[in-house]
Amino acid sequence: MDDYQTCPKCKTTKYRNPAMVLMVNACGHALCESCVELLFAKGSGACPECKCPLRRNNFRVQLFEDPAVDKEVDIRKRILKEFNKRQEDFPTLREYNDYLEEVETIIFNLVFDIDPTNTNKMIDNYKKENKEITQKNRNRQSQEEMELEELLENEKAQQSEKASLYVNAELEEKKQKHKAREKLIDELMFSDADAKSIVASHVQATAALAKEQPKAAAQAGSTVVKSSKFSSGIQIGLRGQHTNSFLPIPKQEDLPLYRYTAPVFDYDGPPPPTIEMLGKLNYFANIRAANVTERAGGYTEAMSCCRALQEAMGGLFYSPQSTHKTAVVNTIHSTQDTDDMETT
Amino acid sequence: MFSTSTQRHFWMFKDETDVSNARLGANLKYISARGKNMTVAERETHFLNASEEKSLIMSYEYQLRDFCRKFHPPMPRYVIGTALHYLKRFYVNNSVMDYPPKEILVTCVYLACKVEEFNVSMDQFVGNLKGDREKAATIILNNELLLMQQLDYQLTVHNPFRPLEGLMIDMKTRFPTFSDPERLRQGIDEFLEQVFYTDAILIYSPSQISLAAIIHSASTSKENVDEYITKILFSEDQKRLLNLIEAVKKIRVMVRNIQLPHRDTIKALEKKLILCCNPDNNSESPAFKKRMKQSFDDEESFEDGQYPSASSEQVRSMLLGLSEMG
Repeated sequence: MDDYQTCPKCKTTKYRNPAMVLMVNACGHALCESCVELLFAKGSGACPECKCPLRRNNFRVQLFEDPAVDKEVDIRKRILKEFNKRQEDFPTLREYNDYLEEVETIIFNLVFDIDPTNTNKMIDNYKKENKEITQKNRNRQSQEEMELEELLENEKAQQSEKASLYVNAELEEKKQKHKAREKLIDELMFSDADAKSIVASHVQATAALAKEQPKAAAQAGSTVVKSSKFSSGIQIGLRGQHTNSFLPIPKQEDLPLYRYTAPVFDYDGPPPPTIEMLGKLNYFANIRAANVTERAGGYTEAMSCCRALQEAMGGLFYSPQSTHKTAVVNTIHSTQDTDDMETT
Repeated sequence: MFSTSTQRHFWMFKDETDVSNARLGANLKYISARGKNMTVAERETHFLNASEEKSLIMSYEYQLRDFCRKFHPPMPRYVIGTALHYLKRFYVNNSVMDYPPKEILVTCVYLACKVEEFNVSMDQFVGNLKGDREKAATIILNNELLLMQQLDYQLTVHNPFRPLEGLMIDMKTRFPTFSDPERLRQGIDEFLEQVFYTDAILIYSPSQISLAAIIHSASTSKENVDEYITKILFSEDQKRLLNLIEAVKKIRVMVRNIQLPHRDTIKALEKKLILCCNPDNNSESPAFKKRMKQSFDDEESFEDGQYPSASSEQVRSMLLGLSEMG
């Protein structure tokens, strides 16, 4: 939608005014708004390019850059209102495809003005033969649209109910708090009991109230569902066939809960002190203290001390073993090779 | 930690003969592959034998440490330890003649820097090398994957330095009768430097090595830490105490018996090496250059096997070895 599009009539005006809107007529040619007004102010209704007769209301605001596309879109809409059969109406896929091809041929012919008389005859024939089916399909379409609308409405209604509930709950809370405060002040003023005990009992009461609040809110939230069935079991509305009900995943009650087991380390050496014991055993006297920046980052002396001790103790009981892969094999190979060398 | 690490489960040997057998195996494999048409006597003169390879490796370990000492920015000692570990492990499975040690050496250091999170960019790294820096960079990058493959991609190495710190802290806390263990530091550091030239790191656990270092340093300063070990560390396990004493003794013997090979012998060995080395893997040789050029030319159809990897023979025999074991 740039300023490169020129109105074929006044040519210049479109360049200078990007806000100008192009209108398309039934024969597929574009005209800018002002030219259209001009044309029909004079009373005549002829397209400046192809001279076919036009009416004022045949002009639509152009949606696509190419006016030919707009023309085709228009024709398609008109035709598909008549030719609205669906795949379910045809016994085989082949017949459905043939039908679609027929529709496309008709549209093509109309767009490019090929053989208009024949095409129109075809359309009329089709209309006569398929009047009933067309009507039924129209009704079905409208039914579906209604169902969708209903679903949307339901959702909206639920949301607004929830919102209002929350608002109400908040208001209630505020009221209660206010009441409690007033009660405390009254008690302090008029009763003879000790001030501290009054305040203490008041605090307890508010704590108990606070616990009850979330429970009440949860209960209130779950009672919004509208009734969807009549008492006899038949569902309200058109939702009989189409609703997708999502069942929740069944909860398995019997499985054991996860239990944490601490990891076991095999040090192969005398056990080093645990990180918690290091302070008590006075190890920190012998290690550099963490400076302020290090401690801010989360480092403590205990960490490096513990790690050093673990590494020191680990492996002290180790006795040499042969674990390298070639260590075992090469003894065999070397004896073989030495045999070979001796014989040659 | 060490007891659950791949180091313990895959890269440990029973004793020194075990390690030398592994090296011997690699050596013989290479010789039999390359010297098919030679007599026994010819083979002996042409190729390096296992003990000559060992001396060469030791000299290259010293070179590695020198390189790391002069490294800029200063390299912490655990990176050097890891690099030496990698070098040792690589040449347990492969022969010195097969892959030039100089290249593997720098690749080990580069990989160790990455693994131990000592961040050095490639440019900084090759800035420490002499000679053609771009060529060095390409050599390192080409060998990196080979090195990792030969290490079985098991790159975490447990060095004795952290156990040493732990033992120090423990001694200061639980054994206060021994005053100021920090006096032992210098002796300990020297011992730990030396132990990396032996095979002890492939036989004993790092905490045992650090304990051996402490004992050694204490005995050289005429001190005695036996009480600490018997009363506090091993108060409950007497038989394991014997095991540990045995281990410590052996480690100290190994360090005492280090013999730095003479410079002239090394030079002679290097000359011999140039003659018998594998030209496919030596970046100086024309065959290698031709192969590299070929791989650049058909870079369109770049396959996985184009990296300088162990030759197909070696791979096959290694796989056979594995199936025999299992």
